[in-house]
Amino acid sequence: MRGSGRRATHAGGESPIRLYHVSKSYLAGSFALHDVSLEIRKGEFVFLTGPSGAGKTTLLKLLFAAERPSEGQILVRGRNVGRLRESAVPALRRRIGVVFQDFKLLPRRTVEENVRVALDVTGTPPREARAKVFQMLKQVGLQHRRFHHPLSLSGGEQQRVALARALVNEPEILLADEPTGNLDPELTLEIMDLVVGASTRGTTVIVATHDMGLVERYGKRTIRLEGGRMGEDLQ
Amino acid sequence: MVAVLVRTALRGLQSSAVTSVAAAGTIAIALVLVGAFALIAGNMQGLLQRFGEELQVVAYLESDIDAAAAQQMVERVATVEGVQEVEWVSPERALERLRESLGGGGLLEGLEENPLPASLEITLAPSHRTPEGIAILVEAVDGLPGVDELAHGQDWVEGYSRVLVLVRSAAVGLGGVLALAALLIVANTIRLAVYAREDELAILSLVGASRTFVRVPFLLEGTLQGAVGGLVALGLLYAAFIMLVPEVQYGLELFLGSQQPRFFAVGEAAWLVAAGAGLGMCGSGAAMLGWRA
Repeated sequence: MRGSGRRATHAGGESPIRLYHVSKSYLAGSFALHDVSLEIRKGEFVFLTGPSGAGKTTLLKLLFAAERPSEGQILVRGRNVGRLRESAVPALRRRIGVVFQDFKLLPRRTVEENVRVALDVTGTPPREARAKVFQMLKQVGLQHRRFHHPLSLSGGEQQRVALARALVNEPEILLADEPTGNLDPELTLEIMDLVVGASTRGTTVIVATHDMGLVERYGKRTIRLEGGRMGEDLQ
Repeated sequence: MVAVLVRTALRGLQSSAVTSVAAAGTIAIALVLVGAFALIAGNMQGLLQRFGEELQVVAYLESDIDAAAAQQMVERVATVEGVQEVEWVSPERALERLRESLGGGGLLEGLEENPLPASLEITLAPSHRTPEGIAILVEAVDGLPGVDELAHGQDWVEGYSRVLVLVRSAAVGLGGVLALAALLIVANTIRLAVYAREDELAILSLVGASRTFVRVPFLLEGTLQGAVGGLVALGLLYAAFIMLVPEVQYGLELFLGSQQPRFFAVGEAAWLVAAGAGLGMCGSGAAMLGWRA
């Protein structure tokens, strides 16, 4: 009953991400994030902006439990991430897709294997996994490159592979840290269209970027961080 | 899931071939050391066991004891605690043995009568081949009517017991130290493999791989590397045994007498390979200790 209650809260709350007075300090007296509070609704698309060192990456790391907050509470899908046991972290991460600027692909594995690794860790049966990977690669337009290795692909293609890996588990949340930072303008739009597409299918998306042109082009909710503190929150 | 873990382990071995060969090689070298020591200790133990079998207490009988009386004494001595076997050696048999050991009768031809006494050769059970066991026997036999003199080599037995304890302790102690050293070296080698693949482990962790999913392939890799290392060590030891034994045959004969040096039996060889696999698995486990994505 407790489990169903939690689901009800989550579904009813419609806010899979909530932060209450969150601070993160790596060195005593200096804060990477300071007293940040925000709420992101289900299926919402949010840009996180600010200059380098503003705390964008730190905030994303806190959301997928790569870091723990020094102060405050973070609720992701109704779970208090700061108090999550180490053994419960994998289950949280299976519901969150993460994309980085440097793609973070396995160079010795093929495109198909790189995407499939997200399904392997969940114990998805091989046949089902193969089918899902094929569908996902088709969605990002890379089904014909599935037996290639990442290093033989262009930057845009590599990022599409990373996006396919992040989305193949149909996560509730997609976090993207400067996903277009290494790409030229044309490829940037290609990737952003895929990310926006995920959002329209119900995935809550946060994209950290310092590219204001991108922010203006898509006209989505924008949260600005400055020196680790909350700045403007433009709906 | 098991298939995925095995496949990941095999892929890991393939992708870090150099580190895998280094780990297997390290385990092989460590096991060659441990195995060579085990071979030497095992052969020494066998030698000491054979010495023990030859260890006898000899009771020389007075000259007026006839065969029937001697037989009664045999039966009586056989009941003493710790006695495994008693053999009566007549003066004639004793002379015959002396002649055989001298390689012919030339030296003994001038003898007018047999100067050798009859004797009882008493063999102790292995559990009683100790100074205490000898003392019990001496107390029971010395002073028996008809016994003239007792030769028991008490000093030799004490020396034999000391060497046996020393060899056994050294086998356990040195073997343990070598195994521990091997474990540390293997753990460090495998830790290098973990560092080399840190990016891969971080990505696995990022997509929600559990600790088991990340660690089991490494444990499997370590076990496989260890088993291969064990097989290589076995091969090297066997090659060394075959090549070196004829070279040092003369020295070995002095040391081992008629006993042939022996290699590991099948079961012992399997233990060596299993020890390699265990070493690899423990090394991997130790290398993964404290690893966090």
